[in-house]
Amino acid sequence: MGGIPLGKAIFVKDMVKWYGKEVLALNKISFEVDEGEFFVVIGPSGCGKSTLMRILAGILDFDSGELYIQGQNMKGVPPHKRDLSLMLETYAVFPHMNVFNNIAFGLRMTGKDKEYIKRKVKEALELVEMSGFENRSPLELSGGQRQRVALARSLVIEPSVLLLDEPISHVDYILQRKLMEDFKILHKKLGITFILTTHVQEHALTLADRMVVMNTGVIEQIGTPDEVYRTPKTVFAARFVGDINLLPGKVVSKEEKGYIVKTEVGEFRSGLNGADLVGKKLAYAIRPEFIKVDDDAKACENKFKGKLVRLYYFGNYVECVFAKDKVEVKAAVPAEQAIKLRLDKKYMIGWSSDESMLIERPSVIEGLNIEEVIYGK
Amino acid sequence: MAKYTNYLMLLPGLILCVFFLIIPTAIILRISFADSVSTAEFEIHGLTIENYVKYFTAPQTLNILVNTFGTALLACLICFIVAYPFAYFLTFHVENEKLKAYVISLLMVPFLIDWNIRTIAWIPILGDQGIVNSALMSLGVIKNPLNLLFSRTGLHIIWLQTYILFMEFPIYLALARIDPELIQAARVLKAPPHRVFYDIIFKLSLPGVICGWIFVFVCTLGDFLTPGLWAGGLQTLGLSISTYFGKNVWPYACALSTIMIVIALVALYILLKIVDIKKLIYES
Repeated sequence: MGGIPLGKAIFVKDMVKWYGKEVLALNKISFEVDEGEFFVVIGPSGCGKSTLMRILAGILDFDSGELYIQGQNMKGVPPHKRDLSLMLETYAVFPHMNVFNNIAFGLRMTGKDKEYIKRKVKEALELVEMSGFENRSPLELSGGQRQRVALARSLVIEPSVLLLDEPISHVDYILQRKLMEDFKILHKKLGITFILTTHVQEHALTLADRMVVMNTGVIEQIGTPDEVYRTPKTVFAARFVGDINLLPGKVVSKEEKGYIVKTEVGEFRSGLNGADLVGKKLAYAIRPEFIKVDDDAKACENKFKGKLVRLYYFGNYVECVFAKDKVEVKAAVPAEQAIKLRLDKKYMIGWSSDESMLIERPSVIEGLNIEEVIYGK
Repeated sequence: MAKYTNYLMLLPGLILCVFFLIIPTAIILRISFADSVSTAEFEIHGLTIENYVKYFTAPQTLNILVNTFGTALLACLICFIVAYPFAYFLTFHVENEKLKAYVISLLMVPFLIDWNIRTIAWIPILGDQGIVNSALMSLGVIKNPLNLLFSRTGLHIIWLQTYILFMEFPIYLALARIDPELIQAARVLKAPPHRVFYDIIFKLSLPGVICGWIFVFVCTLGDFLTPGLWAGGLQTLGLSISTYFGKNVWPYACALSTIMIVIALVALYILLKIVDIKKLIYES
């Protein structure tokens, strides 16, 4: 029985899901989620994250591969016999039942007695700060309240794994911040496994113990938010998690301290990363917050002069876009410095070699040209 | 000004209601309290409750009432039993939208055929020498032909064919409107298949079901032609009314009509009480 994933909340191996004969929703994906982990699935819409959640919950079948939940093989196990709960993106609160009966639903289905149900529903309502709403119809509730009812309804059955499909993105920004905090506190309090999907990088970076970046049915990268942010494995992962400048280039030589990469706007240095990359075409990447501008750039190892073509004001910083020929580089400049910069003037921009990254693969999807991926979007 | 245009929009409906519903009903009500009506000049004579007394003291009254409402309710039940699984299958197991539309429109075919032809067409099927009886006899299941046509069986078969559309449509629409995510949510919330069906699908389709019952109930209650022709002497209120009108005994026929309207309204009221969404909710 080797390989049976004991102690893992979720174990997925080589999972394949087709919609009909044309759409490959999941293309041999594998990952594991530890018990008690806050695991975030991030990817653009249509990447297969909702499909994945539905498969985990048992609402959808998968075509091949393996799925274990809490160490048990889930092949052919219907949703009502799985030790998990799923909060759907639309909340799916039952319109023909009041709040109490919505939350009591799962308990009634498992044949709990009346007193127990009453107590549990009360506790669940307290947990989501909805006490006193028992007799309301969901139709009278706001979107946020409905979500909290759905959350209470999912939690009251005490699942070992809670699946949350896009629970944050549909509300205004302030509420998003509050929800993120609420989910984090709730996760800590309950100690169960959370799996959450989102298409917003901020949610993933803030909430996740570990995250997985998905792209049209494949996994681009799995890791802690810090790992994914600092060492993205593919251009797709780098671009989807955090802002990044990507310069297509070719490694021309290897030196003691790093590689020399030839790009369209000059030769730049990077740190070493073990493998022999000489002669390879790849993406030379640098996050905007590491780009220094004007006087600050003079001491940098890598620099070039670019024309300031656009400014985006973000309050705490200003995103400045510098262009040389076809190449554009974004820099996150502190507001007090940005105020001195003038549009259409040329400035020196530079960065330290250690902050740069070399990303070899455009995506885990084979057969993509790195330049096309970088310039294509 | 906008207010007046709103009322103006009511006008066509109002005219229709007054001239084709309220005034005729009032006339029926008036005649039901009359001694006699001279039908040629349309003169109403006298004011009496004798028609009602006569009705409620008649020995066959209860029997006819039970027959009338019993057969109508049974017709509803039969239509429902046939229509619901069909609508369920169509909604949840047929993915091709075009096919659904075709199948649903097939139910309308009986309405495109003249009533007489449609009814007579059953003779080669259900008659003594019809397909069903011939088949059963040649198989040796029965010795003598079953009286399928001129019986309650025949009546319900024909009613099913005619009125199933009115049951099918509202149920299908109610089922089709159910958000599939509600079903998914219920499944994840530990509901086994039969509870998913009862607690979610069936309860959410109840408005459609009640609607279908009302349609079929009203249609079969008012249909005196079919039972008169096929039901083999089954006495219904509708049939009595048509008989007395035929005999030119208008006051009594009108009294019967009034009674029928009152009972039907009471029955509808009860049904509409049941459809009240709040009543569908668990007792908590």
